[in-house]
Amino acid sequence: MCLAVPMQIIRLDGFSARCAARGVEREVSLFMLQDEGVVPGDFVLVHVGYAIQKISREDAEATWELFDQILAAGDADA
Amino acid sequence: MSDARLWLERIRELPIPDGIRIMNVCGGHERSISMAGLRTALPPAIRLIPGPGCPVCICPEEDIYQAIRLGLEGDAVVATFGDMLRVPVNLGRQAVRSLEQAKAAGADIRPIASPIEARIIAEKAAGKPVVLFAVGFETTMAPVAALMAEGLPDNLYILCSGRLTWPAVRLLLDSDECVLDALVAPGHVATVMGPEEWGFVADDYRLPVAIAGFTPASLLRAIHSTIVQWLEETPRLDNCYPEAVKPGGNPKAREFLNRSFDVTAGNWRGIGPIAASAYALKPEFAAHDARLHFPDYDAGDRRHAGEMPAGCDCARVVLGRIQPDECRIYGKPCTPRSPVGPCMVSDEGACRIWWAAGVRKDSAAA
Repeated sequence: MCLAVPMQIIRLDGFSARCAARGVEREVSLFMLQDEGVVPGDFVLVHVGYAIQKISREDAEATWELFDQILAAGDADA
Repeated sequence: MSDARLWLERIRELPIPDGIRIMNVCGGHERSISMAGLRTALPPAIRLIPGPGCPVCICPEEDIYQAIRLGLEGDAVVATFGDMLRVPVNLGRQAVRSLEQAKAAGADIRPIASPIEARIIAEKAAGKPVVLFAVGFETTMAPVAALMAEGLPDNLYILCSGRLTWPAVRLLLDSDECVLDALVAPGHVATVMGPEEWGFVADDYRLPVAIAGFTPASLLRAIHSTIVQWLEETPRLDNCYPEAVKPGGNPKAREFLNRSFDVTAGNWRGIGPIAASAYALKPEFAAHDARLHFPDYDAGDRRHAGEMPAGCDCARVVLGRIQPDECRIYGKPCTPRSPVGPCMVSDEGACRIWWAAGVRKDSAAA
Protein backbone atom coordinates (compact mmCIF):
# COMPACT_ATOMS: atom_id res chain seq x y z
CA MET A 1 0.00 0.00 0.00
CA CYS A 2 2.94 2.35 0.56
CA LEU A 3 4.59 1.35 -2.68
CA ALA A 4 4.34 4.18 -5.18
CA VAL A 5 4.49 3.19 -8.85
CA PRO A 6 6.12 5.38 -11.51
CA MET A 7 3.80 6.10 -14.43
CA GLN A 8 4.00 8.22 -17.56
CA ILE A 9 1.26 10.74 -18.31
CA ILE A 10 -0.46 10.08 -21.64
CA ARG A 11 -3.11 12.82 -21.56
CA LEU A 12 -4.69 15.26 -19.17
CA ASP A 13 -8.29 16.07 -18.38
CA GLY A 14 -8.34 18.73 -15.67
CA PHE A 15 -6.82 17.21 -12.53
CA SER A 16 -7.26 13.73 -13.94
CA ALA A 17 -4.65 12.04 -16.10
CA ARG A 18 -4.48 8.90 -18.17
CA CYS A 19 -1.18 7.30 -17.17
CA ALA A 20 0.70 4.20 -18.24
CA ALA A 21 3.32 1.91 -16.76
CA ARG A 22 4.68 -1.10 -18.64
CA GLY A 23 1.59 -1.12 -20.89
CA VAL A 24 -0.92 -0.90 -18.03
CA GLU A 25 -3.08 2.22 -18.10
CA ARG A 26 -5.13 3.83 -15.39
CA GLU A 27 -6.70 7.10 -14.32
CA VAL A 28 -4.57 9.08 -11.89
CA SER A 29 -5.45 12.18 -9.90
CA LEU A 30 -3.02 15.07 -10.27
CA PHE A 31 -4.79 16.98 -7.51
CA MET A 32 -1.67 16.98 -5.32
CA LEU A 33 0.56 18.14 -8.19
CA GLN A 34 -1.80 20.88 -9.40
CA ASP A 35 0.87 23.58 -8.88
CA GLU A 36 3.67 21.61 -10.57
CA GLY A 37 2.70 22.17 -14.20
CA VAL A 38 2.90 18.52 -15.24
CA VAL A 39 2.34 17.79 -18.93
CA PRO A 40 1.85 14.67 -21.06
CA GLY A 41 5.10 12.75 -21.31
CA ASP A 42 6.11 13.55 -17.73
CA PHE A 43 6.75 10.75 -15.25
CA VAL A 44 5.05 10.77 -11.86
CA LEU A 45 5.09 8.59 -8.76
CA VAL A 46 1.56 7.25 -8.24
CA HIS A 47 0.33 6.08 -4.87
CA VAL A 48 -3.24 4.76 -4.34
CA GLY A 49 -4.40 6.54 -7.49
CA TYR A 50 -2.78 9.90 -6.74
CA ALA A 51 0.42 11.32 -8.21
CA ILE A 52 2.61 12.40 -5.29
CA GLN A 53 5.73 13.67 -7.11
CA LYS A 54 7.30 14.27 -10.51
CA ILE A 55 10.31 12.06 -11.25
CA SER A 56 12.76 11.56 -14.11
CA ARG A 57 12.48 8.93 -16.84
CA GLU A 58 15.66 7.26 -15.52
CA ASP A 59 14.21 6.91 -12.02
CA ALA A 60 10.94 5.57 -13.39
CA GLU A 61 12.71 2.93 -15.45
CA ALA A 62 14.95 1.84 -12.57
CA THR A 63 11.89 1.32 -10.39
CA TRP A 64 10.00 -0.57 -13.10
CA GLU A 65 12.89 -3.02 -13.36
CA LEU A 66 12.74 -3.56 -9.61
CA PHE A 67 8.98 -4.21 -9.74
CA ASP A 68 9.46 -6.74 -12.53
CA GLN A 69 11.78 -8.70 -10.25
CA ILE A 70 9.41 -8.45 -7.28
CA LEU A 71 6.41 -9.52 -9.37
CA ALA A 72 8.34 -12.48 -10.73
CA ALA A 73 9.21 -13.53 -7.18
CA GLY A 74 5.60 -12.93 -6.03
CA ASP A 75 4.24 -15.16 -8.81
CA ALA A 76 6.54 -17.95 -7.71
CA ASP A 77 5.23 -17.57 -4.15
CA ALA A 78 1.53 -17.50 -5.04
CA MET B 1 22.34 -3.32 -10.87
CA SER B 2 25.83 -1.93 -11.43
CA ASP B 3 25.08 0.96 -9.07
CA ALA B 4 23.99 -1.53 -6.44
CA ARG B 5 27.24 -3.50 -6.86
CA LEU B 6 29.22 -0.30 -6.48
CA TRP B 7 27.54 0.56 -3.19
CA LEU B 8 27.91 -3.01 -1.99
CA GLU B 9 31.65 -2.82 -2.66
CA ARG B 10 31.90 0.50 -0.83
CA ILE B 11 30.11 -0.96 2.17
CA ARG B 12 32.41 -4.01 2.19
CA GLU B 13 35.42 -1.70 2.32
CA LEU B 14 34.24 -0.15 5.59
CA PRO B 15 35.37 -1.35 9.04
CA ILE B 16 31.83 -2.28 9.97
CA PRO B 17 30.92 -2.15 13.66
CA ASP B 18 29.94 -5.67 14.69
CA GLY B 19 26.21 -6.17 14.95
CA ILE B 20 25.17 -2.68 13.88
CA ARG B 21 21.37 -2.69 13.76
CA ILE B 22 19.89 -0.67 10.92
CA MET B 23 16.11 -0.38 11.01
CA ASN B 24 13.71 0.42 8.20
CA VAL B 25 10.12 1.47 8.82
CA CYS B 26 8.61 0.89 5.41
CA GLY B 27 7.11 -2.25 3.94
CA GLY B 28 8.35 -1.20 0.50
CA HIS B 29 11.92 -0.96 1.80
CA GLU B 30 11.66 -4.34 3.46
CA ARG B 31 10.29 -5.88 0.27
CA SER B 32 13.18 -4.53 -1.81
CA ILE B 33 15.75 -5.61 0.78
CA SER B 34 14.31 -9.12 0.96
CA MET B 35 13.66 -9.64 -2.75
CA ALA B 36 17.11 -8.37 -3.71
CA GLY B 37 18.66 -10.62 -1.05
CA LEU B 38 20.55 -7.73 0.53
CA ARG B 39 20.82 -9.47 3.91
CA THR B 40 22.93 -12.25 2.46
CA ALA B 41 24.83 -9.91 0.14
CA LEU B 42 25.87 -7.57 2.94
CA PRO B 43 28.57 -8.43 5.50
CA PRO B 44 27.07 -10.46 8.37
CA ALA B 45 28.02 -7.76 10.90
CA ILE B 46 25.14 -5.67 9.56
CA ARG B 47 21.70 -6.49 10.90
CA LEU B 48 18.84 -5.06 8.84
CA ILE B 49 15.72 -4.89 10.98
CA PRO B 50 12.16 -4.31 9.75
CA GLY B 51 10.40 -2.01 12.21
CA PRO B 52 6.87 -0.57 12.36
CA GLY B 53 6.50 -0.07 8.61
CA CYS B 54 3.24 -1.81 7.90
CA PRO B 55 0.12 0.33 8.44
CA VAL B 56 -2.17 -2.68 8.10
CA CYS B 57 -0.27 -4.51 10.86
CA ILE B 58 -0.55 -1.70 13.39
CA CYS B 59 -4.08 -0.66 12.43
CA PRO B 60 -6.09 -0.63 15.66
CA GLU B 61 -7.89 -3.92 16.11
CA GLU B 62 -10.87 -2.03 17.53
CA ASP B 63 -11.19 -0.03 14.30
CA ILE B 64 -11.33 -3.22 12.22
CA TYR B 65 -13.97 -4.50 14.62
CA GLN B 66 -15.94 -1.30 14.11
CA ALA B 67 -15.66 -1.62 10.32
CA ILE B 68 -16.92 -5.21 10.50
CA ARG B 69 -19.91 -4.17 12.61
CA LEU B 70 -20.68 -1.24 10.31
CA GLY B 71 -20.87 -3.67 7.42
CA LEU B 72 -22.83 -6.36 9.24
CA GLU B 73 -25.17 -4.35 11.45
CA GLY B 74 -24.88 -0.74 10.35
CA ASP B 75 -26.13 -1.48 6.85
CA ALA B 76 -23.26 0.54 5.41
CA VAL B 77 -21.09 -0.27 2.43
CA VAL B 78 -17.51 -0.52 3.70
CA ALA B 79 -14.75 0.36 1.25
CA THR B 80 -11.17 -0.32 2.27
CA PHE B 81 -7.78 -1.27 0.87
CA GLY B 82 -7.67 -4.93 -0.12
CA ASP B 83 -4.96 -5.73 2.43
CA MET B 84 -7.40 -5.02 5.26
CA LEU B 85 -9.91 -7.71 4.35
CA ARG B 86 -8.15 -10.69 5.89
CA VAL B 87 -6.83 -9.05 9.06
CA PRO B 88 -8.45 -10.88 12.00
CA VAL B 89 -9.89 -9.28 15.12
CA ASN B 90 -9.84 -10.97 18.50
CA LEU B 91 -13.13 -12.84 18.66
CA GLY B 92 -14.02 -16.50 19.13
CA ARG B 93 -13.68 -18.92 16.23
CA GLN B 94 -17.43 -18.93 15.59
CA ALA B 95 -17.67 -15.15 15.27
CA VAL B 96 -17.17 -13.06 12.14
CA ARG B 97 -13.50 -12.16 12.64
CA SER B 98 -12.53 -10.27 9.49
CA LEU B 99 -13.98 -8.05 6.81
CA GLU B 100 -13.61 -10.95 4.39
CA GLN B 101 -15.79 -13.12 6.64
CA ALA B 102 -18.24 -10.23 7.00
CA LYS B 103 -18.47 -10.10 3.21
CA ALA B 104 -19.15 -13.84 3.09
CA ALA B 105 -21.85 -13.30 5.72
CA GLY B 106 -23.61 -10.81 3.47
CA ALA B 107 -22.05 -7.44 4.33
CA ASP B 108 -21.25 -5.15 1.40
CA ILE B 109 -17.47 -4.90 1.71
CA ARG B 110 -15.58 -3.41 -1.25
CA PRO B 111 -11.83 -3.78 -1.63
CA ILE B 112 -10.42 -0.65 -3.26
CA ALA B 113 -7.04 0.41 -4.62
CA SER B 114 -7.64 4.16 -4.39
CA PRO B 115 -9.72 6.47 -2.16
CA ILE B 116 -11.30 7.80 -5.37
CA GLU B 117 -13.08 4.46 -5.74
CA ALA B 118 -14.88 5.11 -2.43
CA ARG B 119 -16.29 8.33 -3.86
CA ILE B 120 -17.46 6.54 -7.00
CA ILE B 121 -19.09 3.80 -4.89
CA ALA B 122 -20.84 6.47 -2.80
CA GLU B 123 -22.09 8.31 -5.89
CA LYS B 124 -23.63 5.09 -7.18
CA ALA B 125 -25.05 4.00 -3.81
CA ALA B 126 -28.27 6.06 -4.09
CA GLY B 127 -27.96 7.62 -0.66
CA LYS B 128 -26.96 4.46 1.18
CA PRO B 129 -24.14 5.20 3.63
CA VAL B 130 -20.68 4.29 2.40
CA VAL B 131 -17.77 4.16 4.85
CA LEU B 132 -14.20 4.60 3.64
CA PHE B 133 -12.13 2.71 6.20
CA ALA B 134 -8.95 4.72 5.72
CA VAL B 135 -5.85 2.92 6.92
CA GLY B 136 -2.33 4.04 6.14
CA PHE B 137 0.65 6.23 6.82
CA GLU B 138 1.25 9.76 5.53
CA THR B 139 1.67 8.58 1.92
CA THR B 140 -1.84 7.13 1.92
CA MET B 141 -3.51 9.70 4.13
CA ALA B 142 -2.45 12.58 1.87
CA PRO B 143 -4.57 11.14 -0.98
CA VAL B 144 -7.46 10.67 1.48
CA ALA B 145 -7.02 14.32 2.49
CA ALA B 146 -7.00 15.32 -1.19
CA LEU B 147 -10.24 13.39 -1.72
CA MET B 148 -11.76 15.29 1.21
CA ALA B 149 -10.53 18.61 -0.18
CA GLU B 150 -12.13 17.85 -3.53
CA GLY B 151 -15.49 17.41 -1.82
CA LEU B 152 -17.28 14.34 -0.45
CA PRO B 153 -20.74 13.08 -1.37
CA ASP B 154 -23.18 13.48 1.56
CA ASN B 155 -23.40 9.71 2.07
CA LEU B 156 -19.62 9.12 2.25
CA TYR B 157 -18.18 8.74 5.75
CA ILE B 158 -14.60 8.20 6.77
CA LEU B 159 -13.47 5.81 9.49
CA CYS B 160 -10.00 7.25 9.88
CA SER B 161 -7.22 5.00 11.20
CA GLY B 162 -4.30 6.87 9.61
CA ARG B 163 -1.01 7.09 11.46
CA LEU B 164 2.22 9.10 11.28
CA THR B 165 5.41 7.08 11.00
CA TRP B 166 7.97 9.16 12.87
CA PRO B 167 6.28 9.09 16.33
CA ALA B 168 6.65 5.29 16.41
CA VAL B 169 10.37 5.66 15.70
CA ARG B 170 10.67 8.19 18.51
CA LEU B 171 8.86 5.75 20.80
CA LEU B 172 11.39 3.04 19.89
CA LEU B 173 14.30 5.39 20.49
CA ASP B 174 12.89 6.38 23.89
CA SER B 175 12.36 2.74 24.86
CA ASP B 176 14.55 1.05 27.48
CA GLU B 177 15.04 -1.77 25.02
CA CYS B 178 16.26 0.27 22.06
CA VAL B 179 16.55 -2.02 19.07
CA LEU B 180 18.28 0.18 16.52
CA ASP B 181 21.62 1.89 16.00
CA ALA B 182 20.68 3.65 12.78
CA LEU B 183 17.59 4.34 10.70
CA VAL B 184 16.82 4.06 7.01
CA ALA B 185 13.93 6.52 6.75
CA PRO B 186 10.95 5.93 4.44
CA GLY B 187 11.36 7.49 1.00
CA HIS B 188 7.74 7.98 0.04
CA VAL B 189 6.69 9.32 3.43
CA ALA B 190 9.50 11.86 3.01
CA THR B 191 8.40 12.54 -0.59
CA VAL B 192 5.09 13.76 0.81
CA MET B 193 6.16 15.25 4.15
CA GLY B 194 9.68 16.41 3.35
CA PRO B 195 12.97 15.02 4.64
CA GLU B 196 13.13 17.47 7.53
CA GLU B 197 10.87 15.54 9.89
CA TRP B 198 13.51 12.77 10.19
CA GLY B 199 16.23 15.11 11.45
CA PHE B 200 15.29 14.37 15.06
CA VAL B 201 16.98 10.96 14.89
CA ALA B 202 20.36 12.63 14.44
CA ASP B 203 19.64 15.83 16.38
CA ASP B 204 17.94 14.39 19.46
CA TYR B 205 19.34 10.85 19.62
CA ARG B 206 22.74 11.24 17.93
CA LEU B 207 22.01 8.29 15.64
CA PRO B 208 22.67 8.03 11.89
CA VAL B 209 19.67 8.44 9.60
CA ALA B 210 19.38 8.31 5.81
CA ILE B 211 16.31 8.52 3.59
CA ALA B 212 16.25 5.81 0.94
CA GLY B 213 14.37 5.11 -2.25
CA PHE B 214 13.26 1.65 -3.24
CA THR B 215 15.88 0.31 -5.61
CA PRO B 216 18.67 -1.84 -4.13
CA ALA B 217 21.15 0.88 -5.14
CA SER B 218 19.27 3.57 -3.23
CA LEU B 219 18.88 1.35 -0.16
CA LEU B 220 22.56 0.38 -0.22
CA ARG B 221 23.57 4.01 -0.60
CA ALA B 222 21.52 4.85 2.50
CA ILE B 223 22.93 1.88 4.44
CA HIS B 224 26.44 3.00 3.46
CA SER B 225 25.64 6.51 4.65
CA THR B 226 24.43 5.36 8.07
CA ILE B 227 27.53 3.21 8.60
CA VAL B 228 29.86 6.07 7.61
CA GLN B 229 27.97 8.40 9.95
CA TRP B 230 28.37 5.81 12.69
CA LEU B 231 32.09 5.36 12.08
CA GLU B 232 32.77 9.09 11.90
CA GLU B 233 30.48 9.79 14.85
CA THR B 234 28.81 12.50 12.81
CA PRO B 235 25.11 11.61 12.78
CA ARG B 236 23.15 13.77 10.37
CA LEU B 237 20.13 13.43 8.14
CA ASP B 238 21.26 12.25 4.69
CA ASN B 239 18.76 12.36 1.84
CA CYS B 240 19.75 9.44 -0.40
CA TYR B 241 16.55 9.73 -2.47
CA PRO B 242 16.77 13.33 -3.76
CA GLU B 243 15.10 12.28 -7.04
CA ALA B 244 11.73 12.24 -5.26
CA VAL B 245 12.37 13.74 -1.82
CA LYS B 246 12.48 17.52 -2.11
CA PRO B 247 12.90 20.02 0.73
CA GLY B 248 9.46 20.56 2.23
CA GLY B 249 8.06 17.48 0.51
CA ASN B 250 4.92 17.97 -1.55
CA PRO B 251 3.50 21.30 -0.28
CA LYS B 252 0.05 20.70 -1.75
CA ALA B 253 -0.22 17.28 -0.13
CA ARG B 254 0.81 18.73 3.23
CA GLU B 255 -1.71 21.53 2.82
CA PHE B 256 -4.50 18.98 2.26
CA LEU B 257 -3.37 16.95 5.28
CA ASN B 258 -3.42 20.07 7.45
CA ARG B 259 -6.84 21.11 6.17
CA SER B 260 -8.44 17.70 6.64
CA PHE B 261 -6.90 16.22 9.78
CA ASP B 262 -5.91 17.00 13.32
CA VAL B 263 -3.00 15.03 14.75
CA THR B 264 -4.02 13.31 17.97
CA ALA B 265 -2.97 10.45 20.24
CA GLY B 266 -3.75 7.08 18.73
CA ASN B 267 -3.56 3.38 19.48
CA TRP B 268 -1.16 1.15 17.50
CA ARG B 269 -1.99 -2.55 17.48
CA GLY B 270 0.68 -4.44 19.35
CA ILE B 271 2.39 -1.24 20.46
CA GLY B 272 -0.24 0.73 22.38
CA PRO B 273 -1.10 4.42 22.42
CA ILE B 274 1.39 6.90 20.96
CA ALA B 275 0.99 10.64 21.50
CA ALA B 276 0.50 12.84 18.43
CA SER B 277 0.62 9.89 16.05
CA ALA B 278 -2.90 9.61 14.60
CA TYR B 279 -4.86 11.47 11.96
CA ALA B 280 -8.40 12.40 13.02
CA LEU B 281 -10.96 14.28 10.94
CA LYS B 282 -11.08 18.00 11.65
CA PRO B 283 -14.35 19.29 13.16
CA GLU B 284 -15.24 20.85 9.79
CA PHE B 285 -15.61 17.30 8.46
CA ALA B 286 -17.76 16.11 11.39
CA ALA B 287 -20.67 15.40 9.03
CA HIS B 288 -18.44 12.79 7.31
CA ASP B 289 -16.83 11.31 10.42
CA ALA B 290 -17.91 7.68 10.74
CA ARG B 291 -16.94 7.69 14.42
CA LEU B 292 -19.45 10.48 15.10
CA HIS B 293 -22.12 9.26 12.71
CA PHE B 294 -22.12 5.62 13.83
CA PRO B 295 -21.22 5.78 17.55
CA ASP B 296 -23.16 2.60 18.30
CA TYR B 297 -20.61 0.52 16.43
CA ASP B 298 -17.46 1.42 18.29
CA ALA B 299 -15.29 -1.18 19.96
CA GLY B 300 -17.33 -1.60 23.14
CA ASP B 301 -16.04 -3.88 25.86
CA ARG B 302 -14.40 -7.02 24.53
CA ARG B 303 -11.66 -9.21 25.90
CA HIS B 304 -8.34 -8.62 24.14
CA ALA B 305 -9.65 -5.58 22.25
CA GLY B 306 -6.75 -3.79 20.60
CA GLU B 307 -4.27 -6.62 21.01
CA MET B 308 -2.49 -8.73 18.44
CA PRO B 309 -4.01 -12.20 17.92
CA ALA B 310 -3.45 -14.65 20.77
CA GLY B 311 -0.35 -16.82 20.49
CA CYS B 312 1.24 -14.70 17.77
CA ASP B 313 4.41 -12.63 18.12
CA CYS B 314 3.39 -9.83 15.73
CA ALA B 315 3.66 -7.31 18.58
CA ARG B 316 7.38 -8.04 18.90
CA VAL B 317 7.87 -8.21 15.14
CA VAL B 318 6.38 -4.76 14.49
CA LEU B 319 8.61 -3.29 17.19
CA GLY B 320 11.70 -4.89 15.65
CA ARG B 321 12.39 -6.83 18.86
CA ILE B 322 12.48 -10.11 16.96
CA GLN B 323 12.91 -10.92 13.29
CA PRO B 324 9.88 -12.52 11.56
CA ASP B 325 11.32 -16.06 11.51
CA GLU B 326 11.87 -15.88 15.27
CA CYS B 327 8.11 -15.78 15.85
CA ARG B 328 6.86 -18.95 17.56
CA ILE B 329 4.35 -19.67 14.81
CA TYR B 330 6.18 -18.40 11.69
CA GLY B 331 5.43 -20.98 8.99
CA LYS B 332 3.66 -23.30 11.40
CA PRO B 333 0.79 -22.65 11.42
CA CYS B 334 1.11 -19.02 10.26
CA THR B 335 1.60 -18.70 6.47
CA PRO B 336 0.22 -16.32 3.82
CA ARG B 337 -2.42 -18.94 2.98
CA SER B 338 -3.69 -19.14 6.57
CA PRO B 339 -2.27 -16.12 8.36
CA VAL B 340 -2.66 -15.82 12.13
CA GLY B 341 -1.31 -12.31 12.63
CA PRO B 342 -1.49 -9.19 10.47
CA CYS B 343 2.26 -9.27 9.69
CA MET B 344 1.57 -12.40 7.61
CA VAL B 345 -1.58 -10.92 6.03
CA SER B 346 -0.41 -7.66 4.56
CA ASP B 347 1.82 -7.29 1.50
CA GLU B 348 3.75 -4.86 3.66
CA GLY B 349 3.96 -7.13 6.69
CA ALA B 350 7.49 -8.25 7.49
CA CYS B 351 6.45 -11.89 7.92
CA ARG B 352 4.63 -12.00 4.60
CA ILE B 353 7.60 -10.40 2.84
CA TRP B 354 10.13 -12.79 4.38
CA TRP B 355 7.94 -15.75 3.50
CA ALA B 356 7.59 -14.55 -0.10
CA ALA B 357 11.37 -14.15 -0.25
CA GLY B 358 11.77 -17.80 0.72
CA VAL B 359 12.82 -17.47 4.35
CA ARG B 360 11.75 -20.51 6.34
CA LYS B 361 12.30 -21.12 10.03
CA ASP B 362 15.98 -21.88 10.79
CA SER B 363 17.04 -21.02 7.24
CA ALA B 364 19.47 -18.19 6.56
CA ALA B 365 17.79 -14.78 6.36
CA ALA B 366 16.93 -13.46 2.90
